[in-house]
Amino acid sequence: MEIIMTWVTLFLYAGATALSAIGVVFGKDKLIDRTVMIAGVGLAAQTASLGFRWVRVGHGPYLGFYEVSAALVLFVVATFVFVAWRQPRLASAGIGVMPVALLLLGGAMLAQSAEVPMTGKLTSFWLAIHVIFANLAFGAFVISFGLAIVYIVRERSGSGKWAQRFEKLPAQDALENLTVSYVLVGFFFWGVMIVTGAIWANEAWGRYWGWDPVETWSLIVWIIYAVYLHLHYTLRWHGQRLAWVAILAMPLSLFTLVGIPAVFNTTHAGIGGLGKDL
Amino acid sequence: MTVSSARKLVRFLGSPRLAMGLLLLLGAWTTAASFVPQNAASADAVLAWRAANPSLLRIVDTLGLHDAFASVPYVALGVFLALCTALCAWRRTGVARRRARRLRDATAGGESAAAASPDLEISLGPNLNQERALEIAADTLRHLGVPTTRRGEVLISVSPWWSVWGTAVFHWALVAVIVTLAVAGLVRAEGQMGVAVGQVRPDQPESYGQLTTGPWYRWDSAERFIRVDGFNIDYQVGGVSRGPTPTVSVLDSDGDVIASRLVYPNHILRQGALSIYPVDYGLSAAIAMLDGTGAEIQRTVQLVDFDGTTPDGTSPISEVGLYGPNGQVLNRLILSVPLDSVDEGFLGRLPETPRARFVILNPDGSLALDEVIEPGQRVQLPAGGELELLGVDYYARLQLVDDPSVPLLYASGVIALVGLGIATLARQMILTVKVEPEGGHARLAVHMRLWRIYSTSRSEIEDRLRRALGAVEGSA
Repeated sequence: MEIIMTWVTLFLYAGATALSAIGVVFGKDKLIDRTVMIAGVGLAAQTASLGFRWVRVGHGPYLGFYEVSAALVLFVVATFVFVAWRQPRLASAGIGVMPVALLLLGGAMLAQSAEVPMTGKLTSFWLAIHVIFANLAFGAFVISFGLAIVYIVRERSGSGKWAQRFEKLPAQDALENLTVSYVLVGFFFWGVMIVTGAIWANEAWGRYWGWDPVETWSLIVWIIYAVYLHLHYTLRWHGQRLAWVAILAMPLSLFTLVGIPAVFNTTHAGIGGLGKDL
Repeated sequence: MTVSSARKLVRFLGSPRLAMGLLLLLGAWTTAASFVPQNAASADAVLAWRAANPSLLRIVDTLGLHDAFASVPYVALGVFLALCTALCAWRRTGVARRRARRLRDATAGGESAAAASPDLEISLGPNLNQERALEIAADTLRHLGVPTTRRGEVLISVSPWWSVWGTAVFHWALVAVIVTLAVAGLVRAEGQMGVAVGQVRPDQPESYGQLTTGPWYRWDSAERFIRVDGFNIDYQVGGVSRGPTPTVSVLDSDGDVIASRLVYPNHILRQGALSIYPVDYGLSAAIAMLDGTGAEIQRTVQLVDFDGTTPDGTSPISEVGLYGPNGQVLNRLILSVPLDSVDEGFLGRLPETPRARFVILNPDGSLALDEVIEPGQRVQLPAGGELELLGVDYYARLQLVDDPSVPLLYASGVIALVGLGIATLARQMILTVKVEPEGGHARLAVHMRLWRIYSTSRSEIEDRLRRALGAVEGSA
């Protein structure tokens, strides 16, 4: 059942991605609205899939590459559906958000989905808090990424056809405000992730900061988003160049969350990859 | 330093461009360092990396990247960033005070603001009365995520006074975090101590194998002792193995237990600012030295680590020197514990039949004795006297961190997050809308101070209000 629901999720996310692209390209508002609905159904299917897995393996989706990536996708799509439900005019940002979710879920399914057992070091309520805030932060960063892409496409179009296709979106300056707001939300959640991780590390490993590669890269991503916020608030950067910073920063957060354990030997091996010492 | 040069320095340190440059440098340095193993994390990893990357050693050594986060450039960056952050926090405090005052004033007398200094004026058509215009304006603003309340003839939306304090609090708390981290390096002591089951060791420098002590740390501030009362090789809680788990006690100078518990990951022992964590474990052998008459002269505990490269599977942490009456070294003792073997190695636990191998060397390094004995048995020393094996058990390698700065660091971190949370989630704005008569028509006057608003923008508010109210041409 878990596998069936995972495939159903993948097809629904693929459908939402395609509908979003078709809706925007051909200016079909109804299709864009359907994107949110289909993403919502996919979200329910993925929740069920991860729920079945949770019951089967006895722990939440936070151990191993498959679980970590799938949980990130869940939070990205949940954030998108929530945002589009609260502000329907932002639904066309799905053209930037859904492909990220689809590719990440596809990558997770291609990777090894073997169960990673709980160990003494991982058995802590801090794990859930730490991981939830990592997922929330990533969800916010992907939304800011999607909004920034839409901003640039519309800006480059001037008053051309792409501007008309994104007509329902807020004005460009309001869209920029929204992008900044999701970066700020992500920055806040990322900060909570770092602090809760430090507290947990002190409990589990006897030190709150050890310059582990994942810790170091978490700090790097936080600094990069701090630079983004300072560029906006103190140096008054606006427009496309600010949007590009949001676009370029998001892949670094993804690399930190799922790429580092595959490249470096890290104590965060629970994420998956080549590390050890769970 | 003159007043003007001091001002220049403050202006330089408070420059947003300097802050940006420092953040970018910090990010670049941290990124470069992340690709190189750090001595602070694992000296073995550093050695392995250096052996595998000889062509990069020159640049890595020049930059000091193996100790990147304790290096002079990094510390200097941190100091400058702390100064910049403090100045930035100071400036933001001033801004927050001014804005908070305006928010309080607006809350108290918002009715007059729109008329006094309107930012937007829309001439209304003749078919729109005051009530209807305010209804439409309220509805339009609500759709833009700006809820308003009606106060008499005025629509008003004013953020609470505390909403403007988020960034100032965040930056001050960041300064506190940086300062606390710097002070922590001065006042903390951190080290590893091996303690055999039943052994009591004083919490003093000589008991530690590895030790890092800050220059302001005082060893005489608390006289205490560490004891390992027991050891469970595979402690289970809730069906999950917690690994090798010692029971550790902290004793005061009178020998009374002041703190005691099983110590495993996520279940550490705390006593004041002292935290005790399990790092590793090994085996220990208690031995007694006897004179020619069989009287006990001295007892000692020898710690041995698991070592797959030796024939017994263990090797001692250090050799024991056996001294003559004049203090000269008569022999050296190398003690190991033969482990039970399995298919491809040794079992990393106490053997079924505990024994110890005594290898005694002469001062010239030649072998004097090599014997395996069980508890209660003795070996004869070449220079007279005997050694008796009293027992074999586990030892726990504990990490002890005495750091009074941790609660302050946590508090600073939490305050920083509260400030950041306020800055993230709270709007900072004043918006008032009023309809006023203007000749034969009426005009809608809007006063806006949108310091931080995410759901919309000034231009969007203007555009939507004009469209919703069917603005008459010529509105300002």
